[in-house]
Amino acid sequence: MLGYTILAGLLFGLYFSLVGLGLNLVFGVVRIVNLAHGDFLMLGAFSAYWLFSLFAVSPFISVVLVFVGFSIIAWPLYYLLVPRLMATKDPEMLSLILFFGFSQVIEALATIAFGTSDRSIPGRALHMGPCRLFGQNYPASWIVGAVVSAAAVLFIYLYLYHTTKGYLSRAVMAHREEAVASGINVNRVCAIAFSIGVGLAAAAGVFAPFIFGSINPAMGVNITITSLTVIVVGSLGNPLGTVLGGLTYGISLMFMQTYFSSWANLLAYVMLILILLIRPSGLLGRSVRYA
Amino acid sequence: MYPEQPPGNGEPLLRIEALVKRFGGFRALDGLTFDLMPGEIVGLVGPNGSGKTTCINVISGLYSPDGGDVIYHGRPISGMPSHRLVQIGINRTFQVPKPFPTLTASENVRVAAAHGRCDCTAVDVDALLASFELDCYAGRPAAELNAGQQKMLDLARALATGPSLLCIDELAAGLNPAELVRVAERLRELARSGITLLVVEHLMGFIDQVTDRVIVLNAGRGIFEGPLRGAVTDPKVIEVFLGTENGD
Amino acid sequence: MPRTMRHILVALVPVAAMALLPLVYSNQLLLFNFVVFMILAQGINVIYGFTGYLPFGYFGFFGAGAYGFAISIMHLRMTPLPALGMAAIAAVVLALVLVPLFRLSGAYFAIANLAAGLAVYQVVSNPSLDNITKGPYGISLPAVFDPNFSYGIALVLLAATMMTVIYLRNSKFGLSLQAIRDDAVSAAMAGVNVVRLRVMAWLLSAVIAGLVGGVFAWYISVFYPQTVFSLDFSIFAIVFALFGGMTTILGPIIGVVILYGIYNLIGISTPQYFELVYGLLIMGLVLFQPNGVVALFKRWGIDVP
Repeated sequence: MLGYTILAGLLFGLYFSLVGLGLNLVFGVVRIVNLAHGDFLMLGAFSAYWLFSLFAVSPFISVVLVFVGFSIIAWPLYYLLVPRLMATKDPEMLSLILFFGFSQVIEALATIAFGTSDRSIPGRALHMGPCRLFGQNYPASWIVGAVVSAAAVLFIYLYLYHTTKGYLSRAVMAHREEAVASGINVNRVCAIAFSIGVGLAAAAGVFAPFIFGSINPAMGVNITITSLTVIVVGSLGNPLGTVLGGLTYGISLMFMQTYFSSWANLLAYVMLILILLIRPSGLLGRSVRYA
Repeated sequence: MYPEQPPGNGEPLLRIEALVKRFGGFRALDGLTFDLMPGEIVGLVGPNGSGKTTCINVISGLYSPDGGDVIYHGRPISGMPSHRLVQIGINRTFQVPKPFPTLTASENVRVAAAHGRCDCTAVDVDALLASFELDCYAGRPAAELNAGQQKMLDLARALATGPSLLCIDELAAGLNPAELVRVAERLRELARSGITLLVVEHLMGFIDQVTDRVIVLNAGRGIFEGPLRGAVTDPKVIEVFLGTENGD
Repeated sequence: MPRTMRHILVALVPVAAMALLPLVYSNQLLLFNFVVFMILAQGINVIYGFTGYLPFGYFGFFGAGAYGFAISIMHLRMTPLPALGMAAIAAVVLALVLVPLFRLSGAYFAIANLAAGLAVYQVVSNPSLDNITKGPYGISLPAVFDPNFSYGIALVLLAATMMTVIYLRNSKFGLSLQAIRDDAVSAAMAGVNVVRLRVMAWLLSAVIAGLVGGVFAWYISVFYPQTVFSLDFSIFAIVFALFGGMTTILGPIIGVVILYGIYNLIGISTPQYFELVYGLLIMGLVLFQPNGVVALFKRWGIDVP
């Protein structure tokens, strides 16, 4: 039982790292809180659903299509919203309100388009049976979610640490003013980070129907809060810390569900508050932000 | 509880004793020691990163020191919160002025007057603004003032709390020559009225005009104390400012 | 006329209007909801407008007040007015527990506060607390149901909240809070006890939300945990107050009248279309008029306090 709980927590946790990764990249580089993050994930999930239902596209192909598609959509969206936001008095705080409004718009449009009912993709879409690891069976979707997430994290790592653009992103993350002063096109760097962040959210959504069982247009809010938990635990503004946050969250969730199931829903919130109070910089954070 | 008049009989107003402040492995202050006598104007000079601003930040309670002591009126005050220090007569200005941008110039000063030392007489906010040529901006939000005016507002706000010790961080940078002369005169006036001034400054001309003596800092330690004239001929000071390769 | 006097007269207008409207308009529940949002928007004004802390979890105080009221009625057999006192106490206790959140700044505070509100909701609605809170099954208080009386108390609360904001606008306390909001370090250097004043403003806004939560529970007398612990109360109140204009006296009221008015015109019949309009409105507000409509009036030369 214990071994199963831990391994299941790790698999789940890897998936949750992917769920939070985009949000953290956006916060780290752009310094805004994209409260519509969960809604982009929902849109990614519906894209995968329609791609499978209408054209029988396998989720393994959808994930690439969805990532590219949403990254492209996010690019003009960035220039439409963020530069104006940055000109206001308190962009970080107002970003919460702006993107809350945006999440309402997405949820409303999705409800109008798809209705309120739950949808799911049959598990056979993955063409895999349950996998056996260390003598226990795990649903194929968990393994697939974990593997894809690991790949996405690797992709972000390579981008941040082994490309010029990634190098600039890290410069903007570390010292925004100095980055501006040294002639970096901060707006462009931010737009790229925003695009990748939204793309990652949507890509995570492709596997949401399997991991969560079903999807609906109102799922965004809870996903956003879970993502916030994951990235705050890992460390806000440090995309790679997200993995640690995701794993911590996944394992804790599995433990709660196994041993204190009636209180499991409380976990995300309590963890979020405790981490913020005890170690506001997150498990991997360096710069602490006190008032 | 704190005597209002200077202690006299040669007692220093402020004594800095072997002060240490670390940031990670870096020692911004490394055993700094000096005294300030009542009514004195002392310049704190040294190359960038030598610990001048850190010293002021510790004195004004923004940082608590990792070692050593700050003694004010004979009592240790290190670790006290800033607003308490303000109320016993310690204040400072900022290198980059920090007014309350959405409040008017007059409100900026009124906040300070309302919370400053309870024992000082009611502050005439308008007169204080006028003495810094801010009276015509009294009703304007501080965000609309230019950098020089904001610096003066910083100073006015600090004075509204009725300080005995005022630390001034880089006031002269960015002021024009005429303003410099006026500010220098103003600071000497403050000292004559009994306020002790600790002035951090890069402009040596300004330091020369204003201060009685200077303390030269390098790597968080004092390396010279005395009149500026003496500092410029001191071999250790020359070495720090000009580098060793200028030697033989 | 002195400024404070003028402010008080202006503030009486919405209170009087909400007192007279039931005589000519029969949907008292709708009017009551307007009053509730006016009070909440002013509560947000106190904490966000004057200190700059965005309380995403403000609904937690509202819910704590509603449950403090209901539990006092159900288990302590109190009458409604003392139970309202308990509602305020419940909110204050929650606010005191959350005081450490003030160590966080900006978005961190907003997120932690949101989590706190949701955590309280999860605790209150948990089936294992059935015998205290009735868990997810909801609360019914038929014995104290009295719409006219509770409507009257809501009006008193509205008046008191307006007076609180007027006090903040015209006092040393309010000025010092704005100084802290603008620059906490400079405020400390002006001799302001930053921590104490912030906590006082926090408790003040929590009391307002707790009391209005209690009155809400009293007025509707049948509700579920998700009725009162709804993120909508935070978001609506924040958007209403922001739309009208923070740190002003009438701004939040104007915001409620306009936006909650629109909500009731189109929101009930077609919620998803309202959500769409509402979302677009929020975005437009942040991008084009972040200082609210009162600032717009000012630019046109109309001075609204």
